[in-house]
Amino acid sequence: MRTGLNDIGARLAALPGFEAPAGGWQAVLAARRRRACASSPRWPVLLAASVLATAVGLAWFLQAAHQRSATAQQPVPAPASIVEDAIRKENTRLETLLAALPEQRAMRGSTAFTVAQIEDRLALVDDRLSRIALEPNAPEHAERLWRERVELMNSLVQVRYADVTGSL
Amino acid sequence: MTRMPGICDITVPEPVATAARAGDGRALEAVYRATAGPIYTLLRRLVRRPAIAEELLQETFVDVLEHIGAFEGRCPLPAWIRSIAVNRALMYLRSPWHRRLEWLDADVIRAESLAADERPAGMGTDAGLERALMRLPALTRAVVWLHDVEGCTHAEIGFVLGRTPSFSKSRLARAHARLRALLADAAPLKEGTPCAPV
Repeated sequence: MRTGLNDIGARLAALPGFEAPAGGWQAVLAARRRRACASSPRWPVLLAASVLATAVGLAWFLQAAHQRSATAQQPVPAPASIVEDAIRKENTRLETLLAALPEQRAMRGSTAFTVAQIEDRLALVDDRLSRIALEPNAPEHAERLWRERVELMNSLVQVRYADVTGSL
Repeated sequence: MTRMPGICDITVPEPVATAARAGDGRALEAVYRATAGPIYTLLRRLVRRPAIAEELLQETFVDVLEHIGAFEGRCPLPAWIRSIAVNRALMYLRSPWHRRLEWLDADVIRAESLAADERPAGMGTDAGLERALMRLPALTRAVVWLHDVEGCTHAEIGFVLGRTPSFSKSRLARAHARLRALLADAAPLKEGTPCAPV
């Protein structure tokens, strides 16, 4: 029996739908509250990231310090496009570093949890960035989001690097 | 499971949409009740895990609550919500977290038969087609569902996926061929062809 193209489309369209989960609206409101809390500073995570940062190594530290001081000494604010371009380049550099780290088959639970949290936040930022592309009037600011992404990528690289070198 | 209308078939009355845009809680809840089922169905077809689909549904409507004020009404409200849901699902499918789970799902799917008599609870009568659909790669599945069920054009699909319309066309053609092959493989089992002697 040959199944035609139109037949497959029609059969797919005829598949039954799923009922939305019960209590869904209350769950949405609860998720919104959780997101509002998550967007405020999460001190335990930030503290853990900063402690881990010290274990990463002198080279990393000096490089980051150099970049910070270079940014701080900027006498005149650069145009937004230049700033955003630089942030994107830094993001690409961090992506490359992350990709170069060997994949760990076994990871400590606490490390895996921290990595998952950072990745979740990265996904959220990516989502907002792609929203800007879809909805130009969305109340988001690309530069701020790219900065946040770079900070998260930096934390992720540091955590992964510390895990790989066993310095946790 | 019940037969549900497509997302574009849903009509949100203009006063409700206007009140929702103004942030009225009851109107937003009414929009949720009108669209949640079809949006959840879409998400269940795009991601394999029901729990993830539920989470994505919540996240989609949290986005709606947070950004409804920016909705300009250039398209119907349900279509706008659908674009958020698709975007959410794609972000999840691209995430490292999803890639880590993918090999687990792949093992389960390999172990599953397309035979109708092994249909698990909750799956519809065309279980073979549902399973064949879930065997497609995530992006391909999205193209198939958006085109065949949601009635999106290739240009719309290309825009939502960040690809070209020809990408959507070629993916759809290959997906239909793959679905035909999977269904043909499953056909002897479906018709009760006896197994080879042991």
